[in-house]
Amino acid sequence: MKTLSLMLALSLASAPLGFTAPDDVDRTQPPAAGPLPAVTFPDAVTETLPNGMNVFILPTQKQPMVTFRLLLRSGEICDGTKPGLADLTASLLNKGTAELSAGEFAKKTDFLGIRVEAQAGDDATAITASGLSRDSAEILGFLRDAALHPAFQQGEVDKEKRKMIADLTQKKMEPEDLSERLRDKLLYGQHPYGASPTPETVQTITREDIVQFHEEHFLPNNASLVIVGDVQPEAVLAQVKEAFGTWKQGTVAMNYPIFSTKKGSLFPLIKGISVAVVDRPGSVQSNILVAGRGVAKNNADLPQLGVVNAVLGGGMSGRLFANLREKHGYTYGSYSGFTAKKFGGTFAATAQVRNAVTGAAVGEILAELKRIHTEPVPEKELALQRNYLIGNFLMSVENDERTAQRQQEIDLYGLPADYYKTYAAKLAALTPEKAAELAKQYIDPAHLVIVVVGEAKEIVPQLEKYGKVTVYDADLQPVSGKAAKKGQ
Amino acid sequence: MKLPLLAAFAAAAFLGAMPSLFAEPAPAQAAVKMPVIDFVEYDLPNGLHVILHQNKTAPVVSTYLLYHVGSKNERADRTGFAHFFEHLMFEGSENIQRGQIDKLVSAAGGNLNASTSFDRTDYHFNLPANQLGLALWIESERMLHGKVEEVGVETQRQVVKEERRLGTDNAPYGTLFENLAAAVFAGTPYQWTPIGSAQYIDQASLAEFRDFYHKYYVPNNATLVVAGDFDIEAVKKQIAAYFGPIPRGKEIERPQFELQPQTAPTEKTVALPTTPLPAAVHAWRAPAETADDAPAVELLADILGTGRSSRLHERLVRQEQAASAVDVFPYLLEKGGTLGIFATGNPGTPLEKLDKILDEEIAKVRDHGVSAEELQKVKNNKLRELASSYATMQNRARNLAHYHVMFGDTNALNHQWERYDAVTPEAIQAAAVKYLTPQGANVLHYPVVKPNPSK
Repeated sequence: MKTLSLMLALSLASAPLGFTAPDDVDRTQPPAAGPLPAVTFPDAVTETLPNGMNVFILPTQKQPMVTFRLLLRSGEICDGTKPGLADLTASLLNKGTAELSAGEFAKKTDFLGIRVEAQAGDDATAITASGLSRDSAEILGFLRDAALHPAFQQGEVDKEKRKMIADLTQKKMEPEDLSERLRDKLLYGQHPYGASPTPETVQTITREDIVQFHEEHFLPNNASLVIVGDVQPEAVLAQVKEAFGTWKQGTVAMNYPIFSTKKGSLFPLIKGISVAVVDRPGSVQSNILVAGRGVAKNNADLPQLGVVNAVLGGGMSGRLFANLREKHGYTYGSYSGFTAKKFGGTFAATAQVRNAVTGAAVGEILAELKRIHTEPVPEKELALQRNYLIGNFLMSVENDERTAQRQQEIDLYGLPADYYKTYAAKLAALTPEKAAELAKQYIDPAHLVIVVVGEAKEIVPQLEKYGKVTVYDADLQPVSGKAAKKGQ
Repeated sequence: MKLPLLAAFAAAAFLGAMPSLFAEPAPAQAAVKMPVIDFVEYDLPNGLHVILHQNKTAPVVSTYLLYHVGSKNERADRTGFAHFFEHLMFEGSENIQRGQIDKLVSAAGGNLNASTSFDRTDYHFNLPANQLGLALWIESERMLHGKVEEVGVETQRQVVKEERRLGTDNAPYGTLFENLAAAVFAGTPYQWTPIGSAQYIDQASLAEFRDFYHKYYVPNNATLVVAGDFDIEAVKKQIAAYFGPIPRGKEIERPQFELQPQTAPTEKTVALPTTPLPAAVHAWRAPAETADDAPAVELLADILGTGRSSRLHERLVRQEQAASAVDVFPYLLEKGGTLGIFATGNPGTPLEKLDKILDEEIAKVRDHGVSAEELQKVKNNKLRELASSYATMQNRARNLAHYHVMFGDTNALNHQWERYDAVTPEAIQAAAVKYLTPQGANVLHYPVVKPNPSK
């Protein structure tokens, strides 16, 4: 907090003061601005408990709230042969503990306005407990009971499986979800990142699977806890030690294929351009994802790659937005991005466009990928995007929960401790030469999968010129040709 | 499907037993210290209302400019106009070339957006503290001499139609809100939604855009909030310099109507191939946000649907497993509102079953009211909700403008909790009796359409 207020004092001193009288303004151009305030990533109070759990505390007085977020470094990547296992385990954490039934747990937390929610991602499982800071001790207690002592009562397991199957049924009609799951299936192949649960895989999950998953992954040496909000660091640390100090270390089951792959890439080779259409009858808009291989979260180029991506499609001032929206009126928004996970990543450019211009929109996206791959980015354009990302990073420090999550990202992905302290400087150092190099290396317009969710009979003819088209159903199974269908 | 009668019985027994679960004395709770939002406010001579909130915890500043015009100001044959106009405001001005606003703000390290609702259109910028002047310049340019050209209009027509397809026509349940508004707000300018109808966007002429601009985009119809890290006196001068020369517009004529109690229920089925799970919506008319009984309606909605221990979640999702999710949303506007329930059925659940359970639960709350403990629970949740609305300058700015425009009292933001704290169990039941009537119910069904068997 001290570094922050010091920085503010500095920024004030440099604030523009050029407007002393109404007559002074020159309307014909933007006002001159002082220098950007210094970017300071706040320090957290950090401690590692004897059992291996890392604790980060970020006190802030903006509102009388507190959030505890426990992160296990195990997620869907640990599903093994049963996609949905990590998710189901997470969703059962707040459905009953050793002491409270699911109903009682809901009543007691609801009564205090406390939310305890858990979710599994690819690489990690997060359990978040939040509420009014006056209830800090109770919130921590609920978090501990949910994470460490869930009951996994059979009746609740059955209910959650049913709910998960309903959710999967719903997702089959959501264009964005369909396109992202098919992209992952095509780019990650047999790797767990490419799997997504189906009603069938969910049905095979038993209570024993869940109990075992919990035993093998919910361990203090596999966890970090961040506390952000209106708390006294010493007091809350003492509470955390009491709540989690007796949690016993164990051996984390690292059962994902990264450790068993013998050679080469973990992921399938993407050669040339192919087109994958998910047929969604009744669609009046196509959801386009032009995707390729990306980078892992710990790739040192990732921050600067973010600037290159911003030139292409990072926001409203990116090339995709200017081309597909402002020039052609094809879409409400067109963007691109690198999705980085622990062991790999993807790159994708997206747009949602009406059926009639689907082929043309894909053509414009491909042209923009080619342009950034081959032509150097002018310094003026690069500077704009550097400033955009540096300024927005500076502003993100306002969001304490975001800062807290970044602390845990460092822990989860094994990033250098100063990763976010030096983040803005890394962005600022990007030259046009380096940007050209990064674009050449990481945005490859020759090896892509084009995923489109929409009305197949209207859009397939528009897409055939870009590559071989395979049509998939809502279960993401190929339907082109009878043989493919019979082969299921 | 299984034993609905028995299940209904069990539900009644369970709810009857509920108060005993709360019988243990609640632990003594420390008072919650809500942040007090300090601000200064004043009018410029041209009528622009200015609110300044200084906070130096981060080197960030947010501006929020609210024009008191929304879709309810539109003609019935020009729906979607206010929102479309919002898009045009990014085109440029006398001194800002077309397409430059996004670039100027990005290059300054900031971000921006805008939105249009039934009652208002708002524009916001978030910028590093050194760049506040840029936001003031752009907003004053847009208010003084925004520029609308044919080429921009044509492009944005296409863009807005894609926005509509994205959120409404191509999304599962995307037409829900549109159908709901048409039923609940029938006969008023709230009966169409801000996204409007595509055909009218095509019909609107450049002259109409000019008229709309001169009528509504005037300082006397606008509220400007600046929140964050800045010097108050310096910014007052900047605001006077940039906004002072903008001429005052004519007095605004506001739509005059009142949402009368509905006399007959309505029902509609929306059959679409993109509906994944059967869903039922039940919605009623509700008071305006500023009405005395509005807090009771909001807390009633929470008792029905907020949290896993809420009445509808407990019965529909947990006990009977008829639904995979249920949401209860109060949507209270300037001149009236709605309270709606959206229940997504589990695969195979008959819509009639969802209807029946909802009808029973609504009758129960009308006939028997709510317990003191239930009310305390939702008050605690409301306190939590309010306490968590202070984290960003953008939120603070939006809330300050909202209380000024809708309540006519900016400082009401600092007293918002008191309105909820004063609600009694009797007031909740009275709200249920008054608003959740059988004759006032509007039911929407989204069935799952079976694929054509001949295919």
